[in-house]
Amino acid sequence: MTETVPIEATSLVRVYGEERAVDGVDLQVNAGEIHAIVGLNGAGKTTLMRMLLGMVRPTAGTALIDGHDVTADGSDVWKRVGCLVETPFAYPELTVRENLWAAALLHGVGRARIDAEVAKAIDEFELGHWADRRSRVLSLGNKQRLGLASALVHHPSILVLDEPANALDPAGVVFIRDLMRRSAEQGTAVLVSSHHFDQLARVAYPISLLHRGRIIGTLDPDGHDLEEEFFDQVYRYDRERGAA
Amino acid sequence: MRRALAVEHLKLRRSMVVVVTTVFVVVFIPLLCVGFVAIAKSGGAGAAALKAQAMVVGEGWEAYIGVLGQMVSVAMFIGPGMVVTWAFGREHSDRTFPSLFALPVSRRSIAAAKLVVLAGWGLALIVLLLLGSVVAGLLAGVGPLDGVDLVPRLARLGLAGFLTALLALTIGFVASVGRGYLPALGAMILLTVMAQISVLFGTGGWFPYATPGLYALAGVEGIPEVSVLQLLLVPVTVGIVAWLTVRWWERAEVV
Repeated sequence: MTETVPIEATSLVRVYGEERAVDGVDLQVNAGEIHAIVGLNGAGKTTLMRMLLGMVRPTAGTALIDGHDVTADGSDVWKRVGCLVETPFAYPELTVRENLWAAALLHGVGRARIDAEVAKAIDEFELGHWADRRSRVLSLGNKQRLGLASALVHHPSILVLDEPANALDPAGVVFIRDLMRRSAEQGTAVLVSSHHFDQLARVAYPISLLHRGRIIGTLDPDGHDLEEEFFDQVYRYDRERGAA
Repeated sequence: MRRALAVEHLKLRRSMVVVVTTVFVVVFIPLLCVGFVAIAKSGGAGAAALKAQAMVVGEGWEAYIGVLGQMVSVAMFIGPGMVVTWAFGREHSDRTFPSLFALPVSRRSIAAAKLVVLAGWGLALIVLLLLGSVVAGLLAGVGPLDGVDLVPRLARLGLAGFLTALLALTIGFVASVGRGYLPALGAMILLTVMAQISVLFGTGGWFPYATPGLYALAGVEGIPEVSVLQLLLVPVTVGIVAWLTVRWWERAEVV
């Protein structure tokens, strides 16, 4: 029996007017893998992630999560997915604890287990000090921690994170890196976009380079200078495209 | 759907917009009615007195309930309209809308849960408004209750108020499509003005957003009788709006 691929995109395209935001992306993320997407602003990273999460419909191509079509609203397959794309799950009028309770409920955690899972998430994400305060008073960094806790409160086997280290301090960056590594070690498929080359080099493999809506290459995490390799590939692609 | 209901109920309970609107409608409107009756009774010749005298017809509780009837349709559209604007518009203004994707609970259920919770709150609001009005009337000594057939009058106002609160759900559709508060507030003002104009032109009975207001004022001189068919157009309109809203949420993308 063939195992289903946790995240799979085939010839994925999304067009906005004249703009091809994502232009024929093929992508696979396997269980236990941290697959990173890097690219400049506007390269199509967020649009790609939005399509993989059913937030945006593909113009062409297919996006599958555990073999299921992502355009199906309310599918049970989403019980296995945690994500942080755009803004964190943080309703300002709710306390940190209530936000996590709502996230757990909406992610399908059994009612009998919710309180225990929420308490565990508060502890794991070091949100105890803020647990009973409304999330509107949280700093950006703590809001991001809450978003991550909400994405993981149901123990997903697939994790999609768009710039998860945004607004986090250096300790937070280390925290997210360890979190991804621990998740992958437990068999979770992780897809992450980031601008932090150093962070990716320590945990991600493979690293796909997205530019002008296309995956134009990969970066070697063991390479000498990821940043230099990144810009080399981007400029080479643009030169060849300009020459063509 | 039960999970979506629980989450939407929690958000509604914690919202300051809901608390302020509830207090405003339940406390301020009865006080305003008591004030109008008192000013009209004082017999002054100032602008406020003349305005109050135009609104207050009859004596005692008859007059008081009559003023309340004029208030209900406006208060129960603007009050719930504000809360509906918040409930739907905030998902876009607070950028929480993307959080409602990639969930085993469908967005269809989330939208339906919002509508159900808001309708439930609308029902509670009109009941509290009527109770508050009775208490305010008794405390202010509006008049003797003997011979006043209060229950059917209040039941009529209750139905009119609840139907108006349901019509305010239209604002949720506009807040969804317009992705924020401003289009919703614009729609609320527009529908209020259109309801007034339709009444002025004598076609209000056939304009669902004016019908409950006319139904509340039944028996008042110059107010046309609302037929059952006209009244039935209100739930039909609400049904269409609810379907459109759920459908939009099912199909919407993150932008």
